[in-house]
Amino acid sequence: MISLLAWAGTSAGYAQAGFDADAESKIVAMEHVWAQAYTIKDPKALAAILDDGFVCVTSEGKVLSKAEVLADVRTYTALQILTESMLVHLHGDTAIVSGIFRTKGVEHGKPYTRRERFVDTWIYKNGQWVSVTTMVSFAGD
Amino acid sequence: MRTTGWLLILVCAGLLRVRAQEGGKGGATTAVLAQEQAWSDAESRNDTGALEQIFDNALVFIEDGRLATKGECLARVPLAGSHPRQIVAAATAVHFFGSAAVVVGTYHELAVKDGKASPKAWRFIDTWVNKQGRWMLVAAGASPLPK
Repeated sequence: MISLLAWAGTSAGYAQAGFDADAESKIVAMEHVWAQAYTIKDPKALAAILDDGFVCVTSEGKVLSKAEVLADVRTYTALQILTESMLVHLHGDTAIVSGIFRTKGVEHGKPYTRRERFVDTWIYKNGQWVSVTTMVSFAGD
Repeated sequence: MRTTGWLLILVCAGLLRVRAQEGGKGGATTAVLAQEQAWSDAESRNDTGALEQIFDNALVFIEDGRLATKGECLARVPLAGSHPRQIVAAATAVHFFGSAAVVVGTYHELAVKDGKASPKAWRFIDTWVNKQGRWMLVAAGASPLPK
């Protein structure tokens, strides 16, 4: 009995450690999918990683729902989005990701570059990580 | 939600008109908004001890494109006081996702420097996580609203 309890405790410990380690790399990978979805204008890919209750606060202070973000993807003018300085903090079933993305695109025939800082909240729901919020703020050059 | 940065808050008020996004979360909504208010109150008193209890050790704070850790947020507080500032905040929605709560709202600040008043409006989004029965601030960000 004691052996069984000891084994169960060890398994649980490994499971927790494995879960945390895997979570970080999965979330970072999904952040890259997110950026790519914008450049290839693929709302379907983005829909899979955003929770239905997703809330976005843009650099201009606008609040967007998931539906509004997905509509925005279709008309987004970015040609390239590079993500850098990503940092993941895990809090049980919640993860906070901060970082910077650099966007290059063309708007109204004029090329532009933007550097924005973001903070995203992810939750572990039904066996997968989904993003529930993002907040973006212009970071200058 | 907001940082006092280098200035003193004179008034923090009005976490009003809040709409919980999920049913049966009234108690949690009240508790999260109480933490938002406690944060404002602690900032107004320059009470780093209280802020220490509200901010999670891994706090990520972004305001106007700048990133700050918990230590950096706390380090700003003792410098407050040289220029008065008035802040009125209003949370517009509280969303619950698992053990996390997200508060979205706006705040308006009136900073006075060298006798000149400078109004500014921000949209904020804060993420709180319930840790052992206590709501801790793990992420916060604010973007300036157009004038």
